[in-house]
Amino acid sequence: MIRAATTPHPRLGVVKLASCDGCQLTLLNLEDELLAIAERLDIVEFPEATSHRSNGPYDVVLVEGSVSTPEQLEQIHEVRREAKLLVTIGACATAGGIQALRNFADHDAFRAAVYAHPEYIESLATAQPVADYVKVDAELRGCPINAAQLVELVTALLTGRRPNLPDEAVCAACKRAGRVCVMVAQGIPCLGPVTMTGCGALCPGYSRGCYGCFGPREQANVSSLSRQFISLGRSPQEAGRLFAGFTGYAEPYRDAIVELGGLPGASLAGERAHRAMGAGVNAEGKS
Amino acid sequence: MTNVTKSAIGFLPRAGFQHLIELLAEDGRTVIGPTVADGAIVYGEIHHVADLPQGIGAEQAPGHYRLVHHADERFFAYAVGPTSWKRFVFPPTLALGESRRDDHGHVSFGPAPREIPRLAFLGVRACELAALGIEDRVFLGGPYTDEDYRARRANTLIVAVQCAEPAATCFCTSMGTGPGIRSGHDIALIELDEGFIVTAGTPAGSAIVTRLDLAEATAEQLTAGADQLAAARDRIGDPVVTAGLHDRLLAKLESPRWAQIAERCLACTNCTAACPTCFCTSVSQRSDLDGHTATTERRWDSCFTKGFAAVALGGNFRPRVQDRYRQWLTHKFATWIDQFGTSGCVGCGRCITWCPVGIDVREELNVIAPPPQVSAGPAEAAQPHAPRSSVFRVEGVRRETHDTVTLALSTPDGIDWSTARGEFVMVSLPAVGAVPISISRRLPRGLELTIRAVGPTTTVLTGLERGAEVGLSAPLGHGWPVAAAQEHDVVIVGGGMGLAPLRPIVDEILAARSRYGDVHIYYGARTPSDVLYTEELAAWAARDDLEVGVTVDRADATWLGRVGVVTHLFDRARWDGTKALAFVCGPERMIQATVNALAGRGLTPDRIFISMERHMECGVGLCGHCQVGPFFVCKDGPVFSLAQLGDVFGREGI
Ligand code: SF4
Ligand code: FES
Repeated sequence: MIRAATTPHPRLGVVKLASCDGCQLTLLNLEDELLAIAERLDIVEFPEATSHRSNGPYDVVLVEGSVSTPEQLEQIHEVRREAKLLVTIGACATAGGIQALRNFADHDAFRAAVYAHPEYIESLATAQPVADYVKVDAELRGCPINAAQLVELVTALLTGRRPNLPDEAVCAACKRAGRVCVMVAQGIPCLGPVTMTGCGALCPGYSRGCYGCFGPREQANVSSLSRQFISLGRSPQEAGRLFAGFTGYAEPYRDAIVELGGLPGASLAGERAHRAMGAGVNAEGKS
Repeated sequence: MTNVTKSAIGFLPRAGFQHLIELLAEDGRTVIGPTVADGAIVYGEIHHVADLPQGIGAEQAPGHYRLVHHADERFFAYAVGPTSWKRFVFPPTLALGESRRDDHGHVSFGPAPREIPRLAFLGVRACELAALGIEDRVFLGGPYTDEDYRARRANTLIVAVQCAEPAATCFCTSMGTGPGIRSGHDIALIELDEGFIVTAGTPAGSAIVTRLDLAEATAEQLTAGADQLAAARDRIGDPVVTAGLHDRLLAKLESPRWAQIAERCLACTNCTAACPTCFCTSVSQRSDLDGHTATTERRWDSCFTKGFAAVALGGNFRPRVQDRYRQWLTHKFATWIDQFGTSGCVGCGRCITWCPVGIDVREELNVIAPPPQVSAGPAEAAQPHAPRSSVFRVEGVRRETHDTVTLALSTPDGIDWSTARGEFVMVSLPAVGAVPISISRRLPRGLELTIRAVGPTTTVLTGLERGAEVGLSAPLGHGWPVAAAQEHDVVIVGGGMGLAPLRPIVDEILAARSRYGDVHIYYGARTPSDVLYTEELAAWAARDDLEVGVTVDRADATWLGRVGVVTHLFDRARWDGTKALAFVCGPERMIQATVNALAGRGLTPDRIFISMERHMECGVGLCGHCQVGPFFVCKDGPVFSLAQLGDVFGREGI
C-alpha cells in the first residue's frame, strides 16, 4: 500500500565534477544514518567512498562540483542521460562555487598567473553551475551541504513526500535560535537577509556575518542590503566583495558584485600574469 | 510593612534583590531575565544579581543597537532588546505530535512528549505585559485554543519592572500600553537608585513579596518613582496618532508607498521574529527513512516568506514583497482590531531597531495614513476547545479523472459527522503531510473527499487504496448557507475542482427538493477528461427539477456538449436573479467572471456566496497563513458572501 516491500532498491550514484569533495564528506560523516541509507539504496557510485565505478543508470544521482573543464561538460550530459533524478549538491554544483569567481576575470590571465605551464591546463573559460548545462531536479545548497538537509532529502525521496527545505532567509533560523543580529548590534555586514537558510545560522552564532554559503534566496533584495553595507561604512567595492564568496557567481549576487565595481582580484590576476611574463620569471618562482 | 494585601507596597533595598531571585528559585522556578550576551541585553537564565546588566543600557535607533554603560548601578536601565517573552510561552519550534503508519496502511496519531517548565519572568516591561495579553487573546480567546501556550502561560510568574530609560524606538505611549505598569503582573517593581518599590498584583505575587525583607516605601521614593515615569513618558512623546488609524490605513491599500517600502524591505522576517505578538507558524513533518514514524513540528514562520500565502500548482496570493509588507502592517495596526478587538502592536519598537535596513513603522504609518479620525473595535469571547481528530478508513476509491479521485471514508470510532457543520477537514498522513480538503459529500457514517494530485501529499492521498487509513480533523470552517436558500431559486456555479465542495449543496437540496425554487447548476472544466462526477451530472441533468449545464474550455473528438467559459452557460438563460441565491466555487479568475455575470443578472452581493482558496496549515485560526484582510479564511470562511468580503474581494496581493 505504501511501497511494495519487494521493489528493488533505488540506485544512488554520487558524481564529482570540479569540487573539493567536502559535500561527499558530509555524506560520509552521516555515521548514524549512512548504514540505514545504504540498506535502502544501492550506492552504485561514490568516488570518496569506493573505487567502484558504475556509469548508471541511476534512480538518483547526487552531483557535486561545477562544470569547469571540457571533460566535465561531456560527463554531466552523460550523467543526465543515465539518471532519473539529478540532484545537485553544494555551492559548486548549484552556483559554480569559489572557482566561479574566475568568471569575473580574464581566464587566460588567471591561468598564466597561477600555473607554471598554463598550456597543460585545459579548462573552460568559466566554471558554471550544473543547471547551466542540464536539467536539475532538485538541489541542496551550501558549502558544504548540511547533513540534516541531506538526510531530509534522501528520506523524502524514499518516502515520496515533499522534502522540508524551506526557502527563507538565514535570519529566520537565526532568530528562532535566539541569536542577536550581528549587523544591528555590532555593525557587522551580514548576507543573512538575502541568503537561503540551511546552515542553522552558524556564523552569526560566532559573531560573524553570513558569508552566503547557501546562496541567494528567491527575490533576494541585494541592492537594499548593499546600500545598508555602504551606510555601515563600507566602500561600494568592499560592499560588492562581500557577495563574492562561495556563491558569488549566482544571480543576483553576481550583479551586485559587478554593479558595485567588480572584484579587485580580477585586475590583480591580470597584472600578476603580466609581470610574471614580462620579467621572464615563470609562475613557479612565486609562492 | 509586609501585610498581605493585593498590592502590598514596600521598598526592597538593592542589596536585598538577590533574595528575590532566590525566593523565585525556591518556588521551583527557573528565573529568566535580562543578561548581556552577543552585544545586547537578551533574556536568559538568571541565577544571581551578577547575571543582570548592572550599569548597562542600550542605544537604539532604526536598524541600530549598541550597548552603553551608565554611571549608576541600576539593573534595569534599558529598554526592551532583541528577545521577547513570546519565545518562552510560544517556542520557536515545537513538536506537536507523533504519528505512525505501518506497511498495511494503518495510521495512529499521538501527542509529542512535552515538559512545561516552571518559569519566572524577571523584568517584564509594560509593553510586554500588553503583548502577553494580546497573545492570550490570539491563542486562548477564540473557538480553538493552543493548549501548549495555555500550559506554559499558566506555569509562569511575572515580575514586571516599570520603564525609566525608554529607547528612541519606543512608542508604547501611542499604543496605550506603557510605560506605566497597570495589569498582567504578579509582582511589579519600580527601580530607583537605591532599590525597588515593590507591589504585588496577584496572590502568587504576594506570597513571594511577603517573604521579602521590605522597608516601608517613603513618600520621597514614591514621588521619585512617579517623576521618573512621567519623564519617561515625556521622552517618548506620541509618535503615532492612533485615533482612526484602522480606517485611515485600510483606506490606503493602494498607496504608492507600499512599492517604495518594498525597495528597501529585505523580506528577511526579522521584524516578525522580534515582534512580541506575531504568531504565524508553519507545520512540517520529520520522518524516519521508511516513512513509518514521523514527528509533526511547528515552527515560527512569517508573512514575509515567499511561500507563506502560496497554494498548490504555483499559485501565490502575495507574490510581491510589497503585498507582504502591506499584509503585515495592515494586520498589525488595523485588521488585528477586527479579529481580536485590540491592535496587534504594543509600541515596543523592536521591529524598528531590529530591521537590518531600519524601516520605521512609525514613519511609514504617518506617511501612508496621515492622522486623524475616530474608530474602535469590538471584543469577542468563546468556549475554548481543541479540534477533534480521528482515524478514518478508506472504504472506497472512485477515480474521477486521470489525477483526481474521490475517497469514501468512514471512522471505525463510529463518530457521526454527517450533521456536523464545517466545510473542510484537515487530512493527515504520517510522514507525508497534512492538507485541507473540502467535504464533497456527507455520508451517514463518514464522508467523501475528492482530491486532486497537485502536490506530494495529495499525490500520496490519491494513490491510497481501500483499507488505508488517514487522520481527519472534525469539519472546520463555515460552509454554504444552504438553509438560507429555502424558498429561493438557487444558482450553483462550479469551475474545475470547485464542483466538489458544491456537491453537498445539491445533496441537501435534493433531500428536500420542494423547499427550494428553481435550481440551476452550471459547471465548467478545462477538458472533457477533467469533468468530475460525470455519472452524477448526467443523473442530475435527467431530472426535470434541475437545470444542468456543463461546458469545457477545450473540447476533444468525443465531446458533444458546450465549449467556452462557464458564464456562457447562463448568458441567455431566462431566470430572474433578483429571486436567487448563488453559490460559486472554482479558480479565482473564474469566480471573478462569474460574480460579474451574476451581478449583471440582478444578484446583490449579500446573495452571492463564494468559497475562497488560501494557503492553510492549522485550519483553526492559529497559524496566520490564510488571512485575507480582517478574515481568517479557515475559521471565518472559506465560504463568504460578497457583501461580507467588501473591497477585499478581487484585490491583488491581499
Ligand atoms: S521590514 Fe525590515 S525586518 Fe521586516 S522583513 Fe522587511 S527588511 Fe526584514
Ligand atoms: S489561521 Fe491557520 S489555516 Fe487559517
